[in-house]
Amino acid sequence: FQQQQAVAGGQGGYYGENPEYINAPQQQTYPQHSPAQMGALADQFGQMNMGQKGPRLFTTNLLAAPPEPFELHQPPPPILLPPGACLSPSPFANADPSYQRSTLNAIPTTNALLGKSKIPLGLVLTPYRSLKEGDEPVPLVTDTVIARCRRCRTYINPYVQFIDGGNRWRCCMCSLSNEVPQLFDWDQVRNQPGDRWARPELNHAVVEFVAPTEYMVRPPQPAVYIFLIDVSHNAVQTGMVATATRTILENLDRIPDESGRTKVALIAFDTSLYFFSMPPGGSESSMLVVSDIDDVFLPKPTDLLVNLSEGRQALESLLGRLSDMFQDNHTIGSALGPALQAGFQLMSPIGGKIVALTSTLPSVGPGALKNREDPKILGTAKESGLLQAASPFYKTFAIECSRAQVSVDMFLFSSSYQDVATLACLPHYTAGQTYFYPAFNASRTEDAIKFAHEFGEVLAQPIMLEAVMRVRASKSLRMSSFHGNFFVRSTDLLAMPAVPQDLSYAIEVQIEDTITAPFVVFQTAVLHTTCYGERRIRVVTTALPTSSNLSEIFASADQVAIATLLANKAVERSITHKLEDSRDALFNKMVEILGAYKASMTAAGAGASAQLAISENLKMLPVLVLGLLKNVGIRQSAQIPPDLRAYAQALLTSLPSQVLMPYIYPTFYSLHNMAPECGTVGEQGVIMPSPLPPTSEKLERHGLFLIEDGQTIFLWVGRDAVPQLIIDVFNLPSYETTLPVLDNVFSQRVNAVIQKTREMRRGPYYPHLYVVKEDGEPALRLWALSCLIQDRADVLPSYQQFISQLKDKVNGSSY
Amino acid sequence: MLNFEDVEDRDGVRLSWNVWPSSRIESTRTVVPISALYTPLKQREDLPPVLYEPVTCKPPCRAVLNPYCQIDIRGKLWICPFCLQRNAFPPHYKDISNTNLPAELLPKYTTIEYTLSRPAQAPPIFLFVVDTCLDEDDLKALRDALVVSLSLIPPFALVGLITFGTMTQVHELGYAECSKSYVFRGGKEYSPKQIQDMLGLSAQNRAAPRPGQPMPQQTFGAARFLLPVSQCEFQLTGILESLARDPWPVANDKRALRCAGVALSVAVGMLETTFPNTGARIMLFAGGPATEGPGMVVSNELKEPIRSHHDIDRDSAKHFKRASKFYEGLAKRASNNGHVVDLFAGCLDQIGLLEMKSLPNCTNGVIVLADSFATSIFKQSYLRLFNKDEAGQLEMGFNATFDVQTTKELKVSGVISHAISAGKKSACVGETEIGIGQTSAWKINAITPKTAAAVYFEVVTPAGQPLQPGSRGLIQFVTHYQHASGQMRLRVTTIARNFAEAGSPSIAASFDQEAAAVLMARIAVFKAEVDDSPDVLRWLDRMLIRLCQKFADYRKEDPTSFRLTDNFSIYPQFMFHLRRSQFLQVFNNSPDETAFYRHILNEEDVNNSLIMIQPTLMSYTFDVPPQPVLLDSVSIKPDVILLLDTFFHILIFHGETVAQWRKAGYQEQEGYENFKELLESPVADAQDLLVDRFPIPRYIVCDQGGSQARFLLSKLNPSTTHMSSSMYGAAPGANGQAIFTDDVSLQVFMEHLKRLAVGAQTN
Ligand SMILES: [Zn+2]
Ligand SMILES: [Zn+2]
Repeated sequence: FQQQQAVAGGQGGYYGENPEYINAPQQQTYPQHSPAQMGALADQFGQMNMGQKGPRLFTTNLLAAPPEPFELHQPPPPILLPPGACLSPSPFANADPSYQRSTLNAIPTTNALLGKSKIPLGLVLTPYRSLKEGDEPVPLVTDTVIARCRRCRTYINPYVQFIDGGNRWRCCMCSLSNEVPQLFDWDQVRNQPGDRWARPELNHAVVEFVAPTEYMVRPPQPAVYIFLIDVSHNAVQTGMVATATRTILENLDRIPDESGRTKVALIAFDTSLYFFSMPPGGSESSMLVVSDIDDVFLPKPTDLLVNLSEGRQALESLLGRLSDMFQDNHTIGSALGPALQAGFQLMSPIGGKIVALTSTLPSVGPGALKNREDPKILGTAKESGLLQAASPFYKTFAIECSRAQVSVDMFLFSSSYQDVATLACLPHYTAGQTYFYPAFNASRTEDAIKFAHEFGEVLAQPIMLEAVMRVRASKSLRMSSFHGNFFVRSTDLLAMPAVPQDLSYAIEVQIEDTITAPFVVFQTAVLHTTCYGERRIRVVTTALPTSSNLSEIFASADQVAIATLLANKAVERSITHKLEDSRDALFNKMVEILGAYKASMTAAGAGASAQLAISENLKMLPVLVLGLLKNVGIRQSAQIPPDLRAYAQALLTSLPSQVLMPYIYPTFYSLHNMAPECGTVGEQGVIMPSPLPPTSEKLERHGLFLIEDGQTIFLWVGRDAVPQLIIDVFNLPSYETTLPVLDNVFSQRVNAVIQKTREMRRGPYYPHLYVVKEDGEPALRLWALSCLIQDRADVLPSYQQFISQLKDKVNGSSY
Repeated sequence: MLNFEDVEDRDGVRLSWNVWPSSRIESTRTVVPISALYTPLKQREDLPPVLYEPVTCKPPCRAVLNPYCQIDIRGKLWICPFCLQRNAFPPHYKDISNTNLPAELLPKYTTIEYTLSRPAQAPPIFLFVVDTCLDEDDLKALRDALVVSLSLIPPFALVGLITFGTMTQVHELGYAECSKSYVFRGGKEYSPKQIQDMLGLSAQNRAAPRPGQPMPQQTFGAARFLLPVSQCEFQLTGILESLARDPWPVANDKRALRCAGVALSVAVGMLETTFPNTGARIMLFAGGPATEGPGMVVSNELKEPIRSHHDIDRDSAKHFKRASKFYEGLAKRASNNGHVVDLFAGCLDQIGLLEMKSLPNCTNGVIVLADSFATSIFKQSYLRLFNKDEAGQLEMGFNATFDVQTTKELKVSGVISHAISAGKKSACVGETEIGIGQTSAWKINAITPKTAAAVYFEVVTPAGQPLQPGSRGLIQFVTHYQHASGQMRLRVTTIARNFAEAGSPSIAASFDQEAAAVLMARIAVFKAEVDDSPDVLRWLDRMLIRLCQKFADYRKEDPTSFRLTDNFSIYPQFMFHLRRSQFLQVFNNSPDETAFYRHILNEEDVNNSLIMIQPTLMSYTFDVPPQPVLLDSVSIKPDVILLLDTFFHILIFHGETVAQWRKAGYQEQEGYENFKELLESPVADAQDLLVDRFPIPRYIVCDQGGSQARFLLSKLNPSTTHMSSSMYGAAPGANGQAIFTDDVSLQVFMEHLKRLAVGAQTN
């Protein structure tokens, strides 16, 4: 606080207009802002009043306190910064957890202390989070005055200190004193003295700067989309081509193109490549076939990649006819690798996004893959081999793409083995995303709707182009390993050619030295080009208090962040080691945390205990770990097709927490008896039923239930469901697969709940809705039941069994 | 005495000798081999339609029944004069009698054409291979010519289109949805299998059609690329009309990338897969040399000049051998399949014709060299190719093979023509090889009424065997080809000539000096393709001297006594001009021009070949009807107009005075009508010459002293050279123009010849 005093002492007349901000060490920070979190805020005040520095620890006994699903919707433990840490009274001065959250909201001052807690330290971030209605937009600093620390390049933020009469600022990371840019106090637009306190970067933890030219290696690139569409026999016959082209056609207006610079190309492929030349202003395209797939080349220097608005007419006509053009295509096989190379050649001078849609295992040319699916090795130690890339092509090519600012999204549709694990490499290293529609067939309406919706959302999303991301932190903290879709360039610089919205990244943090500062700062900066042609830097700053008190560490642990980080680590381990190792590591981590807690936070200490204690804020962690253990990506089983496994893993390592939580701990509602207001519109929108713990104990034979994991929605119809209910919901007897919207209140409420469920989730996903009859198709029934992760399933324990295994382990261990 | 031209009109044959020496040794002494310049499709208005299959001798002979066969009406038998086997007439000949003979036995039908019952397996195919590295005007002219030709090609004929520049594009004419083409990299050599696969011509990796659904034929196979004109004319016209210049940028210091080699290999590969052994023409339209990929003739760096004869002589033409080898490979494949490659050049400079020459040379394709596609030389020549006969059929045959059969005294030495060996090792194949030998059958693929093949023979009868009275030798030429109408036809010509004892004057009297000159010219040019030209000239001289020694009248060592009979008298002059001609003197021409001239020489008949060897010169002046004059500098006079026809050039030359008057515009003035007439007369005659010439000659009008006059001067016998006056004083009667040359004049040449002929033995 010496530094703070110095600021106050050095106060000059210049700041007379708003001295209270500078001289306001008593200002309370507002780490939370959403109305739902007011309760937590009240707690904080309460704690402050009690004079306690950190959050209070409440111990709970897992044996006696079953998981409460609603707890996952609680905010993470509060961030209790020391007084004066923040320059701004703004409630937005610390990052919302949806942008960036730490597994610990109080950072241990030493690595030893962190080790003692056994809790992994890491950041979970979604810097390019989508904005739903009512969300605060990210403020934009447009004057290109960017103050950064000369030494550590940290961006000025609410946690720096002004010194030397406000002429200089002290970096919150490295303490270097830096000059305040003169333009901080001069309004260039109005040409008069300005108000530095109004600057967004001093009040907002999430802020975006318009970058001046020194942040550009070249003028901002336009957004470029290249569609690679599989037109082989299967792709056409399953309706993929028709659905894909129709979706592009319908979303042409939604593709970001405000400045009219967006460029588009379309390359169809089977075992040959089909380019389309669309001269600007023309209405017709001509097809150029390249069959030389071992040595791919562009058949024309111009008109293959066209300006969206100039080529619009030809593009529309082509999209309208593409499926028909290949209607009689009997070619089987896929030159996906060559198609990718072609897309790359076309795009590499600019960069952008390649969207590959493919229905088959790549079979010819570079990147051809063999069917390596072997039922005999499923469930064995060798299974993880199937989760590794089968060919170095996709990683090597990905790195080439990354260098050229090319990102790849994969849309996969195969009904047979497609080697998702290998193909997903490409999105993984190029900051794209993989989407998988196993055995897609457009004649099933739900298939068509799901794909069309998700693809449409992906097209409509704004994207960050040519991005690099770096996370800086206070002295003694080091980013040690990185999880997510990007390529690590030069130790800690993450290269992301095109950043889609709502992708999550996890970074493990190491404490390298004793931390003396009362608080630390993590700052994520993403230098990027918007899809509208502006070079910008998005900066996300999180300030966290430090603590040398283990109880405070436990009390500040964020179970959602921990589960997210563990999901990433588990997937990584399953690939580098074995699936079994990955599961063991998850289980052992949970045992360690519980053991550490028992040893240091309960009276039982190292001895045996009849209880299984954990802090209240970590109460859901065991069930989340159980959910992970039961997730398709990790689960012990000899039945999971490797493609499904690989796709689940891609989701586990990219979904933001908000979507990941239901994915590992599905939401479960009872609909037939939900409260009357549920499904109607209240002040906060549609009122949702209370979630139930996902266990079949809650299923009733006459009931109607909803199970949802963010990717799939099951509408469970009990075998004794009353006819009136069936009539109301399904218009009996036609309740085979789809849910109609009927002219009755209950139907509308059910539909409203489902609609709201879909809307709540960030990201483009549109869960497939399956109507499951309790006495219906066994496979579907089993699938739905597998979402009830608190139940026992074969060798996989029920929640009770799991807790008791954990307890035995904890008691048996040496903690 | 035979009238050679009558024989030529009837049988399309001109022979060097029309009475043959009876033994091998005597035959060698006659110097010029027994040889024939045969025009298989020589137009005969009077030939009867013969709509039945020919009667042939038993295998392996298979000679065709002809008027020289001995027949036994009663026994219904005929004796094959070639193998002496007896053959029974087929049952349907049971009614023949001495007064009721089938046409093929009538003496007037020593040449006859059968229309066979089995039609061609496919209609004629025309595959255009079009360079798009052209400037706008040139490209437009070419597009227009191609579009016009679509209306000249029979509607049932198949057409296809390949375009090339930096890359090669095969246009799928059968695709209805949009314009579609298959693109091949220009810098890469594709194997036939690759081309086949890449065009989807091989059915592999396909899903089986769903039950009850036929496999849609249109989606693969050749029908996508080669369609009847009637079906695709609209589509193809559209593609041609929108054909744009190659879109790849060309730097200032570069030539356009032009992958003619790949384009041709794709064309050849496509046809050999889809239409093997049937009539097809690949027509290459090149606006410049191949600068990319296999068959590259010069690099695309402008600083590298295209090779000259000197570079090739010094072995410093760095792409020459590889490119030639590449095109030879293609030529072989195309010709083996009966396919033809035509080369049309629209370029001021060379296009690498020398390297590519094997394509038209092996397939009997045409070559047209024009400065641009916008010239009438190109346009008229190209469209003339589609001339129709009176029945409205194209005057071209396809996929032709040519067989020669001889009686036992004679063997075939070879053929010099645009052909390849069909590898038929029959009993009539001789040991001596002249041209393409070791076979008695050849593929000549394309055939027109003007196609003339030189066939060489040797007498194999050992010396000392007494000659049977009236003994004669027979030669049968059998040409099998696909008529433009889709019928298969067989043209059979059988000729018989008497043998004569050694020293019989009838042999000398039967010498056709014109045919002989042309037949010897073909040998000389064939030799020049492989040997150094000085060797060839020496060989020609030696042969001439030996011929004169054998047939001239003279007293030993007395040159003044030297006399040649009329039918030998102008032969030395032909040889003189042949020695000086562009066929053997290459250094005044580019390698491309040399290849072009030699190609044309090897396909024309006696008359046209003679024009090439010794151009004709007509003189026009007042008050005298136009008359042929000596191809000599003495023919240049101030008050005459000369009309020179070299076959490749038609030149009108105004003598000094005529030129002055013309410049002054007298022809427009009253009272100078005769001058106007004088000016017009050679122009009209030139038009007559142009009428059936292919390719269209270059037409030059020049004045004495003008730069274009060099075309005339280079052809004239330099009886008056710039040396004449300085060294020997003014030659008597030298009122012609002095020509700047070191060449010897015809007079000097003749002096030498006489001396050598009468002097010591030369060998
Ligand atoms: Zn710093
Ligand atoms: Zn016979």
